[in-house]
Amino acid sequence: MAWVTWRQHRPQLLAAAALLAALAAAAVGTDIPIRAAYHRDALSGCLPPSARSGCDLIVRHFQGEFDSWAAALRGLTVLPALAGLFIGAPLLARELEHGTHRFAWTQSITRRHWLLAKTSLLAAATLAAAAVASALVMWWRTPFDTLEGRMAPSAFDLEGVVVPGYALYALALGTLAGLLLRRTVAAMTVTLIVFAASRLAVLEFLRPRFLSPLTRTVVASDGGRQAGDWVLNDTLVDAGGRQISTAREDLAILHAQHAGIDPHTYLVSVGWKRVISYQPASRFWTFQLFEAGLFVCLAAAVVFVTLALVRGNPG
Amino acid sequence: MTAPLAAEGLGKRFRRDWALRDCTLTIPDGAIVGLAGPNAAGKSTLLALATGLLGPTEGTISVLGLDPRRDASVLADVGYVAQGAPLYRSFTVAETIEFARRTNARWDDRVADGLLTVLDAKTRVGALSEGDRGRLALALVLGKRPRLLLLDEPFAGLDPLAGREFLQLLMDGVAETGATVVIASHVIADIERVCDHIVLLADGRVRLEGNVEELLGTHRILMGPRRPLGTIRGVREVVRERHSGRQLTLLVTTDGPIVDPSWTVDRVGLEELLLAYMAPERLPTPQPPEKVPLRWHG
Amino acid sequence: MIEFHLDPRSGVATYLQIVQQVKEALRLGTIEVGDQLPTVREVVADLAINPNTVAKAYRDLEREGLVVARQGRGTFVSNTLARGSLRHHEQLRADFERWLTEADEAGLDEESIKALVSATLRERLARRVA
Repeated sequence: MAWVTWRQHRPQLLAAAALLAALAAAAVGTDIPIRAAYHRDALSGCLPPSARSGCDLIVRHFQGEFDSWAAALRGLTVLPALAGLFIGAPLLARELEHGTHRFAWTQSITRRHWLLAKTSLLAAATLAAAAVASALVMWWRTPFDTLEGRMAPSAFDLEGVVVPGYALYALALGTLAGLLLRRTVAAMTVTLIVFAASRLAVLEFLRPRFLSPLTRTVVASDGGRQAGDWVLNDTLVDAGGRQISTAREDLAILHAQHAGIDPHTYLVSVGWKRVISYQPASRFWTFQLFEAGLFVCLAAAVVFVTLALVRGNPG
Repeated sequence: MTAPLAAEGLGKRFRRDWALRDCTLTIPDGAIVGLAGPNAAGKSTLLALATGLLGPTEGTISVLGLDPRRDASVLADVGYVAQGAPLYRSFTVAETIEFARRTNARWDDRVADGLLTVLDAKTRVGALSEGDRGRLALALVLGKRPRLLLLDEPFAGLDPLAGREFLQLLMDGVAETGATVVIASHVIADIERVCDHIVLLADGRVRLEGNVEELLGTHRILMGPRRPLGTIRGVREVVRERHSGRQLTLLVTTDGPIVDPSWTVDRVGLEELLLAYMAPERLPTPQPPEKVPLRWHG
Repeated sequence: MIEFHLDPRSGVATYLQIVQQVKEALRLGTIEVGDQLPTVREVVADLAINPNTVAKAYRDLEREGLVVARQGRGTFVSNTLARGSLRHHEQLRADFERWLTEADEAGLDEESIKALVSATLRERLARRVA
């Protein structure tokens, strides 16, 4: 089945390789100015927890210089989904759509064997490609990660072991969608929607709770944030511990401005504090393993269902 | 000897329509069976059930003694070409053969070698003519050395020459392997030449089944002046009765020689026999000045 | 080597046509004792007919003692039906072709010629028997 899988999915696998090559070229090409700027601005001296004066500005200047590239990087979150759209969805949908399943599934190989072999081989290829992509991003983002950490979704979602996890999940989803919908375009659409919804759900509801968030209470004037943490919640509370609404906060600031007092000093004087709930940077790999593990388990469950259903009535 | 294909009360329903119902038949080993009937008669459904691509709604089907859904391994001994001979259009001829070689336990390269003397190995399947695609599909199933061959409308889209060549290749393969063949076709003339056994399906039911020579030997056409029918010596059952003007034409099954001189006795051709056992309303009556409802025993 | 042709509309069963053509070939001397008949595969690949049909025809011929099947090697002519020498046949055939040209010029079509031949043969047989 290795030859069969390669021959049938050759265009997609070659496209994936080309995409990775382009990614690598872009990464290497853009890395040069970044490293140059890094050294030029002597940013190594500004790494947290350094509190050297002026670092704040230098770091912000550096980040601003490459802001557009960092933003473009976020577009790569779609990469794992591509495994589902272009490898997973056509796997079964194209066979059923064109009727070639009547050819492929009446040789001496059973349907289950056929599907399991193909899925395993394609999963291995997907895993490898995703790992390469993730490694590329991690390498490219090294200067940024040292400055701002990688717990925030804009970095977390693109690095570490979650990327292969997402890709395997997307691949499995695509395959099941193809079996159920029997049409490639429909399967691609549904795969994209379900994949995006899953990712969003995990990001919004599960990831913040993988481990109980830590809380830090600081005076109202303090920035309170440590670089590298993933801040979940940042609220002002009054002396009694009650949360202060934005309206009340605006009112207080206005009052301070009228009185000619520095707003920060005023807030501190009335006993208001800031409560920051966050996940520390030290939990990066733990969270990575949790999330990757979650998606791999989901992928396995979906594959299991697909294998069970493939014995149905394709006609 | 287990029958290559047998069905018992087999039925298949799609949503609310029964594509096949009450289908009971046994195919004799080594026979070349014509699976005849109009479009949507249930022929493709029957073949799909035999390959396990569909599961029965009721009844059973056994292929070489096994249930094709429970024992999918039986497909190693079954060669199936679906309607339209589906193949991977982006594959070359050589790659298609390679596919069959790698997905089949038993493979004889000689069949493929024979094919490659006629077809260019590097041609893409999508660029082949329908006749060549049919030839390729046939070579693939014959290369498996199957004990049972199931062909669904193999002549559709083939010009008479390509159809004849297909049949030549098929018969050569059968002569070599002794395989049992079931050919589904809605054009009787295409398969009349080779079938020794016939199964007629119409509206999802088996209307007629049996050895061709036997069926042709026990049916006769009787022509005579129109009169009320009594029993006719030698006639077992009247299958179809038609009037036209003053002539009465009967299609009958016989249980002895018919010596009544008032009847002209003629043999019936296979096509006409099958047509008679299909829905009678389909038949174009010669020139009926008066249309009398057909009495149909079936 | 004999080559078969099939007339599907003749009303004669396929296997009988093969038997008849073998006998005809024997009579004409086209095949002789010791000649091999085409293998089942060869016939079938040429005519696209059921192999069982050919097998049946050869079995019938074997039963009539005209051919013998040698395991693994094929079917061979074991007896002859030819009467008269080949030379006479050639002469007769040439005479016949001349007659046919005359009949053609006289306006007889194929069916009429066949009817004439059949009727004449019947009457001769009747006269002989009487």
